[in-house]
Amino acid sequence: MAQQGQSFLSLRGVKKHFGGAKALDGADLLVEAGSVHSLVGENGAGKSTLIKILSGLIEPDAGDILIDGQPVEIAGVQQAEALGFRFIHQELSLVPHFTAVENAFIGRPYPRKGPFIDRRAMRQAIEDTARDIAPDLPLDIPVGQMTTGQKQLVEIIRALIGAPARLVVMDEPTASLSDGEAARLHKAVKRLSDTGVAVIFISHRLDEVMEICDSFTVLRNGCTVGAGRINQIDRAGLVHLMSGREEVLGAAETPPVDSPVVLKVRDLPFGTCGQSVSFDICAGEILGLYGLVGAGRSSLMKLIWGAAPHAGGQIELDGVPLRPGRIGDRISCGAAYVPEDRRNEGLITSRSIADNLAVAHLSQVRARPQMPWTSRRKMAERSATVQSMLSVKMGSPWHGPLTLSGGNQQKLLFGRWFGEPTRLLILDEPSRGVDVGAKAEIHALARQFARDGAAVLMTTSDMDELMALSARVLVMAGGDITAELSGNSLTPARVIDAAFQHQSEISDTDSQTEKETHA
Amino acid sequence: MTSFVRRYGTLVALLVIIIAFSIASPIAFGTPNNLINITQQMTLLAIVAIGATLVMAVGEFDLSTAAVVSFGGIFVVFLLKAGVPAPLACLAVLAAAGVFGAVSGFIVARFEVLSFITTLAVGTIIGGITFWLSDGATLFGDIPVGFRDLARGKISGIPTLTFWLIGVAVVAWVVLDKVEIGRRLYAIGGNREAARLAGVRIVSNTMVAFIGSAMLSALVGMLLTARIGSANPTGGGGFLLSAYAAVFLGMTAFREGEANVPGTLVGAAIIAVVGNGLTILGVSTFMQDIITGMIILAAVLVRRTGTQSR
Repeated sequence: MAQQGQSFLSLRGVKKHFGGAKALDGADLLVEAGSVHSLVGENGAGKSTLIKILSGLIEPDAGDILIDGQPVEIAGVQQAEALGFRFIHQELSLVPHFTAVENAFIGRPYPRKGPFIDRRAMRQAIEDTARDIAPDLPLDIPVGQMTTGQKQLVEIIRALIGAPARLVVMDEPTASLSDGEAARLHKAVKRLSDTGVAVIFISHRLDEVMEICDSFTVLRNGCTVGAGRINQIDRAGLVHLMSGREEVLGAAETPPVDSPVVLKVRDLPFGTCGQSVSFDICAGEILGLYGLVGAGRSSLMKLIWGAAPHAGGQIELDGVPLRPGRIGDRISCGAAYVPEDRRNEGLITSRSIADNLAVAHLSQVRARPQMPWTSRRKMAERSATVQSMLSVKMGSPWHGPLTLSGGNQQKLLFGRWFGEPTRLLILDEPSRGVDVGAKAEIHALARQFARDGAAVLMTTSDMDELMALSARVLVMAGGDITAELSGNSLTPARVIDAAFQHQSEISDTDSQTEKETHA
Repeated sequence: MTSFVRRYGTLVALLVIIIAFSIASPIAFGTPNNLINITQQMTLLAIVAIGATLVMAVGEFDLSTAAVVSFGGIFVVFLLKAGVPAPLACLAVLAAAGVFGAVSGFIVARFEVLSFITTLAVGTIIGGITFWLSDGATLFGDIPVGFRDLARGKISGIPTLTFWLIGVAVVAWVVLDKVEIGRRLYAIGGNREAARLAGVRIVSNTMVAFIGSAMLSALVGMLLTARIGSANPTGGGGFLLSAYAAVFLGMTAFREGEANVPGTLVGAAIIAVVGNGLTILGVSTFMQDIITGMIILAAVLVRRTGTQSR
């Protein structure tokens, strides 16, 4: 650890608003040269925003950024690059049929011999870099044939080509790596920091944070709530800092004791290591499914909705078995689904609001019940009904859905399922990207569906939302259900603790978490 | 004002072109006879383009269109020569084209192969079959008068072909705009994943669009044969580009960015009117191609800049 103690990068009181939402509200960050610094926090704590500020993608509303004690402004991506900042994102940006050498030079000046690219010099440069970081990385095979871990190493090498790097930011590099590959990446990160480069390491695996990082910063709700050297804190301390909530906003309603089971999921194969999940949801219950990004929540929702096939396991709705991968089965049994990605999976943006509201239940807008003849009048009526019932603010139902605000767009996706009795409602991040008022309305809507007798399965990254809507919560980590919490055991700290549990350590967890047992 | 231009701009352009030609060539162009002549000239192109509209509604392309037109013409003569009664021969041709469309649609939707590649391959296969059936030669003779009358002559002063166009256009318009399947096709074209998650069956609906496109192309192949009394294994060659040009022109009309039947008719009319008018004015055919291409580019650019300035 060269040049220890000298603060290379420091951020003070950084603030950033997006519309009415505070993404950062006074965040501080101190990173030393030659150290590995862990940036941790829940989903939405402000990590990504902070990284985007460092990369010059967005400018902060307030706050100072100092490098070597000198204030700087990062006005754009080029400037961040010139400062020696390099970013390795979760979604890798490599060309699959290029080799490591060819990938490393994309967007960097190529070494030349006269007018021609000097391939030998290219390879030499990569070899020199790879020798320090990852000696056993194959340089001459297409990146598409490499493992995810090897691709990460190519990204690291790529970050070090060209102008000297001073800071490398890695956003969850080990999220999709096996343990062996993660260990190899850890070694590369250590070697990297030994060359004097500062590393900001974002990871949801607290065990690896404890192992490879020198220092840490914890963000919560856009504020820095703790920072220091990693040997001054333990895992429990980090969890406490990250969750740190004293009170629960809104109270979840518990369904009546004798509610019948509506959704029955048995041995549904899921996850990478042949795990399976089983659970029930009763009429009137909002079951919460919590997990960090990448824990596999959305894929589980899609399996249950029939959007992806599965082999083995059973899903029953009101006692009727649902065939794998058949969305139509679900709809005819009264199931409804509100996807996570409004723009790509929810709205048909080129069609009108009325069309978006009608598409799932076209038989309801028929001019005559027996004829597949669509009535524009009925479509307009349906829009008007949804508009008044969900208080959607919209002009003409024949305008496109993108003319509406995010909250109103989200209400359309609920409204799509109106008119048929809903038995099962699947909600994936129901209030992402909507303002506070719309969020409350969406929560009321979800409660209304439950009160009318629907079983609701909701996944959310928003702890407050989870606590406000769900009286029972399943926590997922690494494609597995790590805890089922309800009643007194359902607290934000327990949820977070379970969510940060990587499979390998389930065995040594405290007995206080009630674990899902598979029959 | 801008919204009016965006909505009706293409229609206005058609009227302007008609008026311009009427002024430039009042004796030859503006006559009722010539206008009827134009509808007859645009009929075959418009029917192929309506098929293309179905495929474009689900957001795909069908590059096998031209091959299916040629196939339709050759196969019907092949069957007639073999002594198959005309009505049966026509049904057989439509059924065969339907199978081609079903194969393309299934591959595109089920395996998510790019429709460009799928239909290029299917079109190549159909082209091969067509040459095989015809031995590479133009087929003529043995074509019953009743079959030829499908595309010849007039009924109460209006060309028979025009009735085909009206019939096909009305059916396609009803399918796309009035019944449930149309909503599903447009939903798939707008956002395939969202449509799928909302319960729309992607494979069967996409297949319907491709089957419709292929059957209309084969119909045009037969009408072409009926009109000229012979079939050439490359007879449909010119239809692919102009049909899609008509659809693209039509996408700039009436409804923004969506293939639609009234728009496609306007698009086909523009192409037909420009071709007819320029011929009357004595402009060479290669110059006509250059001008038509520029009109298409201009229409698309007007729309692009219109949406960007929003």
